[in-house]
Amino acid sequence: MASKPESAPSPAQGVGPLYRPDGEKPTATVSKEVSFDNVHVLPQTPQLIALLTMIRDKRTSRADFIFYSNRIIRLLVEEGLNHLPVVEQSVTTPVGTAYLGVKFEGKICGVSIMRAGEAMEQGLRDCCRSVRIGKILIQRDEETCMPKLFYDKLPTDIAERWVLLLDPMFATGGSATLAVEVLKERGVPEHRILFLNLIASPSGVAEFAERFPKLRVVTSFIDQGLDEKK
Amino acid sequence: MFGVNFGLIFSTQDSFYKTLSPEEHHRAHANDYDFDCPDSIDFDLLVHTLRDLKKGKKANIPVYSFADHQRQPQTTTLYSPRVIILEGILALHDPRIVEMLDVKIFVEADMDVCLGRRILRDVRERGRDIEGIVKQWFDYVKPSYTRFVEPQRSISGSCHPLLTLHRLNLTLTFQISLFRVVFKTGPLSVDMVVKHIQRKLQEKSENHTEELHRLGLIAAKVDLPDNVHVLPSTPQFVGMNTILQNPKSDQEDFVFYFDRLASILIERALDMTSYISTKVETPQGNEYLGLHPTGAVSAVAILRGGSCLETALKRSIPDCITGRMLIQTNESNEEPELHYLKLPSQIEEHSTVILMDSQMSSGSAALMAVRVLLDHGVAQERIVFVTCAAGERGLKRLVAVFSKINVIVGRIEEEGEPRWIEKRYFGC
Repeated sequence: MASKPESAPSPAQGVGPLYRPDGEKPTATVSKEVSFDNVHVLPQTPQLIALLTMIRDKRTSRADFIFYSNRIIRLLVEEGLNHLPVVEQSVTTPVGTAYLGVKFEGKICGVSIMRAGEAMEQGLRDCCRSVRIGKILIQRDEETCMPKLFYDKLPTDIAERWVLLLDPMFATGGSATLAVEVLKERGVPEHRILFLNLIASPSGVAEFAERFPKLRVVTSFIDQGLDEKK
Repeated sequence: MFGVNFGLIFSTQDSFYKTLSPEEHHRAHANDYDFDCPDSIDFDLLVHTLRDLKKGKKANIPVYSFADHQRQPQTTTLYSPRVIILEGILALHDPRIVEMLDVKIFVEADMDVCLGRRILRDVRERGRDIEGIVKQWFDYVKPSYTRFVEPQRSISGSCHPLLTLHRLNLTLTFQISLFRVVFKTGPLSVDMVVKHIQRKLQEKSENHTEELHRLGLIAAKVDLPDNVHVLPSTPQFVGMNTILQNPKSDQEDFVFYFDRLASILIERALDMTSYISTKVETPQGNEYLGLHPTGAVSAVAILRGGSCLETALKRSIPDCITGRMLIQTNESNEEPELHYLKLPSQIEEHSTVILMDSQMSSGSAALMAVRVLLDHGVAQERIVFVTCAAGERGLKRLVAVFSKINVIVGRIEEEGEPRWIEKRYFGC
């Protein structure tokens, strides 16, 4: 028997609606569970797994890759936005009945970590029209091998906004950590930062979540084998 | 009072003539075959067809060629009408049919008028010669009238000496406005018929409402089953619903938030489609055990409301094959009527059919739409009904009847909420 590699693979399990018996669900590798209150993994539905499968498959064309990743990003944005505050609002509906609803509260902005994060901007715009989007360029310094801030352009009133920080791949978390530091320097409180991410490594996300306990991470998948150099 | 109503079909007994054997065929061409005898009509098929139609199923009506005296290979498909008019000289002959009819009318004309009209028709429309027509009249038509047609008078509900075509009787389950067009005759007798028909339709409608109410009462006692998925009331979802329900929101916002909300519903619906395990290689050369959708996913919009969801649908599946059915709920009696139907071909082979409507109140349109899909061979398990808002009673009723379909609901609405979303979305 071939021995398994050291790192345990992400769990494989039947994926599908709860009411369907396990035997009738197709098996797939789902996200690893982590026990941090500030890390939110999207529900591992068959639909999400199928989308992730498309973007992981090296045979997927660029157009398809963009299309399918956009769909996941929209799901991420929808989940992320649920962490924003709302206030009660009562309206009288067109049919004359009262509806106790809510109103979105607080201004938001997106900040993408260049270059990869820019790919998530369209998905954000699909859900939030005319959202302001700032940019941060972080590159690995060739000499020190540490991430280095090269450029940033952020809304001037960013300190008053909720920030959706966008970066699709999260390995060691070096760039994301630096980006959060930049935002905090500009006066954005940690609890108003939401980090939206497609695929994360468990060790990276654990370190990140511990380092910024008030920041919230919303990701679609945490796996074991994300290569550090992507 | 019923307004324009297309839920009416006109079926003629002539479609049900039996195909003739070569020998009979020869006799027919020599005007020596009795078409007015009940044996010439395939009553079993007619009864079967009417039963299907009465149950709301679709039926294939044979096409009969008078030139060839043959049943043609093609058929005409009729779908779930509200009113069926059956006409034919022997329409009241078979007791099985008489039993099914709600209104029976025997139309009588003077025999001379009948012969005159028959000659004109057969010469002009059916290419016969006069000798043949007259021979047929005295050998078959007139004796058959005395033997088979006239006795039907005694069983029909009302008898009116109406001057119509050569046809001697007419049997119907009927709708008023057309009646006036067909029969241009004395006001008194027509009024009586009209009243009778109105009463019959009213009764039917009341029974229908009562039945829906009864189903609703049964359903009210149970919780929503597992196959009804009401989207969780997350802050964003409620927030979007608030914007949608606020009459002060402008049109642009309404459309934007509706599309956004509908996208969430559609993504949820896609969780119900079928997937298989698949291994893919990542660009880094790792293997990943994921899922692939299997089979085709198509959609059917229940017009007009369902078409509001198409933008969202195309966002997730840009090339989704989309069928349409126009079901209008008759406002006077709350009965659904199918006015138009265009389904994707081979829909029965699709792994999932997403049935879309913007709103569902009593559920009668949804019930009809699912029924239509089932009649076209789509299995219940493959149907996912998606709606932005639904009344609880209607929902329970829907899944009480079709327990295997999946239903995705955005929000539980007030009972009896009128359809307003489509008006708002389309701005008219």
